[in-house]
Amino acid sequence: MAVELQMPKLGATMEKGTIIEWLKEEGDQVTVGEPILEIMTDKINIEVEAPSQGVLLKKLYEVDSEVPVLETIAYIGETGEEIVEKTSNRNVQSEVVKEDNNTQAQQALNTTVSTKTLTGKIRRTPAALKLAKAHGIDLHLVHGTGPNNRIQVRDVELFLEGQKAKITPLAKKIASVQQIDINTLQPSSTKIVKEDVTKELTRNKSNSVSYNGIRKVVGERMAQSSATVPHVTLHTTIDMTKAIELRKMLLEKILSRTGFRLSYTEILIKSVAHALMSHPMVNASLNGKKIDLHSDINIGIAVAIPNGLVVPVIRNADQKGLLELTVESKKLAKNARENRLTTDDFSGGTFTISNLGMYAVDSFTPIINQPESAILGVGRIQEQVVSVDGAIVSRPQMALSLSFDHRVIDGAPAAHFLTDLKEILENPYELMV
Amino acid sequence: MRKITYAEAIREAMTQEIKANEDVYILGEDIGIYGGAFGLTNGMEEELGRENVMSTPISESAISGVAVGSALTGMRPILELQFSDFITIAMDNIVNQAAKLRYMNGGKGSIPIVVRTPGGSGAGFAAQHSQSLEAWTAHIPGLKVVQPSTPYDAKGLFKAALDDNNPVIFYEHKLLYGLKGEVPEETYSIPLGKADVKREGTDVTVVATSIMVHRALQAAEELEKQGISVEVIDPRTLVPLDIDTIVESVKKTSRAVVVYEAVQRGGYGAEIASLINESEAFDYLDAPVVRLGGKAVPMPYNMNLEKQAVPQVEDIIIAVKSTIAPVTI
Repeated sequence: MAVELQMPKLGATMEKGTIIEWLKEEGDQVTVGEPILEIMTDKINIEVEAPSQGVLLKKLYEVDSEVPVLETIAYIGETGEEIVEKTSNRNVQSEVVKEDNNTQAQQALNTTVSTKTLTGKIRRTPAALKLAKAHGIDLHLVHGTGPNNRIQVRDVELFLEGQKAKITPLAKKIASVQQIDINTLQPSSTKIVKEDVTKELTRNKSNSVSYNGIRKVVGERMAQSSATVPHVTLHTTIDMTKAIELRKMLLEKILSRTGFRLSYTEILIKSVAHALMSHPMVNASLNGKKIDLHSDINIGIAVAIPNGLVVPVIRNADQKGLLELTVESKKLAKNARENRLTTDDFSGGTFTISNLGMYAVDSFTPIINQPESAILGVGRIQEQVVSVDGAIVSRPQMALSLSFDHRVIDGAPAAHFLTDLKEILENPYELMV
Repeated sequence: MRKITYAEAIREAMTQEIKANEDVYILGEDIGIYGGAFGLTNGMEEELGRENVMSTPISESAISGVAVGSALTGMRPILELQFSDFITIAMDNIVNQAAKLRYMNGGKGSIPIVVRTPGGSGAGFAAQHSQSLEAWTAHIPGLKVVQPSTPYDAKGLFKAALDDNNPVIFYEHKLLYGLKGEVPEETYSIPLGKADVKREGTDVTVVATSIMVHRALQAAEELEKQGISVEVIDPRTLVPLDIDTIVESVKKTSRAVVVYEAVQRGGYGAEIASLINESEAFDYLDAPVVRLGGKAVPMPYNMNLEKQAVPQVEDIIIAVKSTIAPVTI
């Protein structure tokens, strides 16, 4: 009997395929696995192979035809064989049933022949579905041998057996240790071998994560800022000798009074706030046709959280001492990491500090946290050999990078601010003034 | 154990019950000297007296009316209808009176009657004497419906039917009257609502009633030779129906064929098929549940045609195979 060649269903969402090219003509001899035609889905082009040996008896569709999945597109059989087309066959049978729905034979037939075409759905029994689900088998891959090619339990069992047989013991062991579902593996040859499993392992590692939620918000805001704001970044290096001394002196005191350790971040916040007091243009936002010069100095601190980045804000940082700043910034950072920040904690920032000093980062060019006009990027503190008053000495150095919005701030005033900031950080006792 | 026929088993049951309980009596047409249309009451009048074996005029309406009335007064009548086709004439008394009186009187009074009647085809009795109308009565709330397939079941189920305080329609099969089987002499009762696994198997469950039980068993033997193991279940009573036994079997075999002699369309097999689908067996089904019933034709007089109109052994074989693989005819 002639074998049907069907439009394959290549994915769960595939509903139809387009015939691009016939690689065989009617009357051509074909062998199993030989490409017969090429089809296109909305994702890929692929060759459809012959399911059996014989002669391509009939092509049912021309090039450029769109054909629903699982629909017959050609017949393969023996030369001269008469094709009983399924559709006409069905009609004949349903007519017979209508004519005489009482004969016993027809009743039996009636139960085995459906008059409906099942498009895009898999014909399977409840028991077959249950078994397939239990083993995580995609029924699209199973060939049904029941009435109307319905997939029955034995077909699923056969499929399972076939799968079991086609894996090497080593591959099976690795798969079980790594908790990889063998059924999802694509064997590169006739058997699933070790390489197939390890390939799946590496593939799994590079699995994508979804781009949504906070990740998407951060991404879109960064892209927008980068694309719409003319960024200029100024770099400088700070000698941190005295700042380190200051921290050492206050560390124990603040720790004993608050339970928190003073970090360079707080010294940076205090210094930046102090510098901003005399540079209102840096503490500003472009707001349509005017530039808002903020009276408050609210410093945002960029905090990394598992899937993104948040910037909680310390308000009126210029009016707070290092002790207060330590308590507040530690609490905000903790809340940020525990996802407990409120919208109030995020809003109202006028300037942002992004500190990567805890990593092996010397310096970087931060992207402005709009609508603010500037952001300070902080690198790590490193002992470096420098020349001081003609002597070669080793000093702890830290790089600062100030990115600013050139629409609001020009190079000179920004440089002036950065210079003042350097002055403060290198002589932190000035903060006492 | 001694072997007696299906007819003898029922006669023995009736005789024993009448002797044991003075409230029990039998009434029907020609049941006295003539011994009934199929000889079920042969010798009973002589043995038990005309008060206990009461011949009546030819009026099913009158017979059923008397039965319902005397049941209300405390008697336990056995009512013989010569052919189950004639239940149509007794229908008002059975459906509108017997089935409902206890309910409509708030549980006061009861209608303990057994309507015994032969159904089915195979004897060349033509369209008015060969029907299988059990689905009609099974449809009516208040009626119980019994279809024994063996002499043993017939005697035991008859006792249970007679002991029941509700009207029971007891369908015998005229082709089974001569069937012999082992039957104990003493009285015993087979509870209504308990199916019997007549043959155990693993591949397909065949639920068959009355004479179809025997054809299903023959089909099962033939299929066994072809490597298909068939479990045959005889519900024995349609109301109440032992669906649990059927469901358990289908869970084991994953396939079900329901075989009955009545016209397939609207028959009781549809009820059984539907109950299987609605049960927990659904997830175990590896093929649609198949009904195999009689054809929608008045029963032909010609015995060859008559045979064609109801399921035969070969039809059951085809139906069973159709649940496993495509059947080419």
